[in-house]
Amino acid sequence: MRPIAPFAAALCFGLACAATAGADALTDRVVDHHILPTYTRLAQETAAFAEVAQQDCAPTSPVLEEAWGRAFDAWVAASHLRFGPSEVDNRAFAIAFWPDSRSKTPKALRSLLLDRDPVVETATEFATASIAVRGFYTLEYLLHDPDYADLGTAAYRCALIRAVSGDLSANAAAILTDWQDDFAAALQRPDQQANPRYRTDTEVHQELFKALTTGLEILADMRLGRPLGTFEQPRPNRAEAYRSGRSLRHVQIQLAALRDLARLLTAGDPALQAQLAGAFDKADRHAEALSDDPIFAGVTDPQQRFRIEALQQDVHDIKTIAATKIGPSLGVEAGFNALDGD
Amino acid sequence: MKTPFLTGAAIAALTVGTPAAFAASKAEVLTTYANIAEAKYEDSLITAKTLQAAIEALIATPSAEALQAAKDAWLAARVPYQQSEVFRFGNAIVDDWEGKVNAWPLDEGLIDYVDASYGGATDENAAAALNVVANPAFTLSGENIDASDITPALLEGALHEAEGVESNVATGYHAIEFLLWGQDLNGTEHGAGNRPWTDYAAGDACTNGNCDRRGAYLKAAADLLVSDLEWITAQWGSDGEARDTLLSDENAGITAMLTGMGSLSYGETAGERMRLGLMLNDPEEEHDCFSDNTHNSHYFDGLGVQNVYLGEYVRVNGELVSGPALADLVAAADADLNAELTGKLATTMLKLGRIKTAAEAGFSYDQMLEQGNAAGEALVMGGVEALVDQTRSIERVVSALDLDGVAIEGSDSLDNPTAVFE
Repeated sequence: MRPIAPFAAALCFGLACAATAGADALTDRVVDHHILPTYTRLAQETAAFAEVAQQDCAPTSPVLEEAWGRAFDAWVAASHLRFGPSEVDNRAFAIAFWPDSRSKTPKALRSLLLDRDPVVETATEFATASIAVRGFYTLEYLLHDPDYADLGTAAYRCALIRAVSGDLSANAAAILTDWQDDFAAALQRPDQQANPRYRTDTEVHQELFKALTTGLEILADMRLGRPLGTFEQPRPNRAEAYRSGRSLRHVQIQLAALRDLARLLTAGDPALQAQLAGAFDKADRHAEALSDDPIFAGVTDPQQRFRIEALQQDVHDIKTIAATKIGPSLGVEAGFNALDGD
Repeated sequence: MKTPFLTGAAIAALTVGTPAAFAASKAEVLTTYANIAEAKYEDSLITAKTLQAAIEALIATPSAEALQAAKDAWLAARVPYQQSEVFRFGNAIVDDWEGKVNAWPLDEGLIDYVDASYGGATDENAAAALNVVANPAFTLSGENIDASDITPALLEGALHEAEGVESNVATGYHAIEFLLWGQDLNGTEHGAGNRPWTDYAAGDACTNGNCDRRGAYLKAAADLLVSDLEWITAQWGSDGEARDTLLSDENAGITAMLTGMGSLSYGETAGERMRLGLMLNDPEEEHDCFSDNTHNSHYFDGLGVQNVYLGEYVRVNGELVSGPALADLVAAADADLNAELTGKLATTMLKLGRIKTAAEAGFSYDQMLEQGNAAGEALVMGGVEALVDQTRSIERVVSALDLDGVAIEGSDSLDNPTAVFE
């Protein structure tokens, strides 16, 4: 694969696309039309939420709830991009610690509230707190679980909501800044010697392809697979964000984000794009049909469960297209991701 | 010492070994890998039998010395076993089996008494505080369970992963670890679990109740560990299924080797076991949380990855098992890449060695996880970053070797291969 990069560069010079001379068209497309807009929106929505929290920190405030929801939407749309700046200083984990299979968030949050832990007092200090009490899922307990409504004092709960929202905004801003300052360039200019992370365009393409397959794994195995459990042991309480009724919504948002990425990765192959569009359309239809069950409560009912399984199968079908068509068309292997392991 | 392994497959490997001047063949590399797997599982079995004997001695004649001897045997048994974890991912037969012996983390209240701070049943696990040692009869998933006799069959049948919950760990190293050390209630302070030996004492000397049932549980778990290790060792023998599967397709076999190295390095050790615990500042996230042996677990996991690449393993009796290695294949394909990965594996061992050194000098792994402990964070993240970095080079090896389009899969995909190969 190595000769491709200089060849593409020469082509580019020939066509006078000087602004991105040396860069790779596929990488440019994904960075400019997918990654940067996704993180820009996350930075904007979390900043807006942090500002609202400064004005109005009552957990029952509709204004706060709406701003939190918009910021959460923006995170879900970015949740497949688990490489580079999102992994520096554990930012993505601090934004969203899920799944919480050992119930760390409720335990840690309870002691934080009861102890009135002073860790919320400054942003610097809060940035060292356990990821179990930072990010969107902590806020979900505070905003949507009546068990936490009276724990500790109102003033402390307010301080905690402000601390979490500020921390979210700071992390989202740091991710975006890193992308704008360095990381977009690192992706767009792979180099055998000078670039410590990416040697060739193929390595960059593998990273972008892995974002797609990682997102599909999160969808199939976690957002859908966790509540599905097994037929004998369905797990409705493991549905993501069921307290706020957002489980299905997250699946739909992530499907849209992955559709966008898959389309950009296959530009120039209309037949493959059409196949992918058909597969995503089918998943969207099945998701839409579940609008009467936004938290996947139907996993326990054999009559309802099959609809959620059908949606999971749609995601598996898209994974198959990715593994058998998109990967080979890019000349890349699936590689490793953070979900490997248990 | 009895070494059936060396009279079998290893001799075969030695006789087909080629002089250094010739590049290793994939078949030879796979044979070395299978030989190392067999040696590691056999060493795990040998050391588990020593542990079993020490546990029988503790139950027969309880004393502080007998409990300490059992703990020492457990620690020794972990040395070869942790080096074998690199065989998990990539070899479906190992991955399907390993939950019986090394499942983690566990809700230990399933097994025995716990401190009040542990809490009770959770959203995720209704049986989190079942306490089998104290209860000869109970209900699980609506079924009445008779636990008046604590047997290996009870542990692996009714209890292990009861109600489909993975943290209901009733068998294996970590169940035994809990029964020997008890809960570590020191938080991120120095100190491991401190179970009194009198938890196994007879008559009035018995502390915390049900000492006979506790002893029976410990014995059943040790017996099961030995029989499970006997099974997996046989799978890697000259006619074993794991060896046969591996050797049946050379490219798939090499891919399995690389899958094991990459998945253990990145998703499992760097992610699930190291970074997560650090980010949660939670000592319960330590891999060997009762015994405070986590520094060794990580170290020997890393060493296992290096063993596979270099084709070298030092057995518990000091013998070296070696042969044509993955490193030889990579050197022939791309000498620079071989140097790169060899160097990164060595760097990882240096970084994991720092964690081990500091822990053995008194700065234990749970102290490293304390919120705001900058030195601890630097030590743990040093290991994490080195493991992530070597994974990048492992991905490069996958591309550099001509594996005929055999795809790397996350271990996740092993459970659902049809999703990938439809």
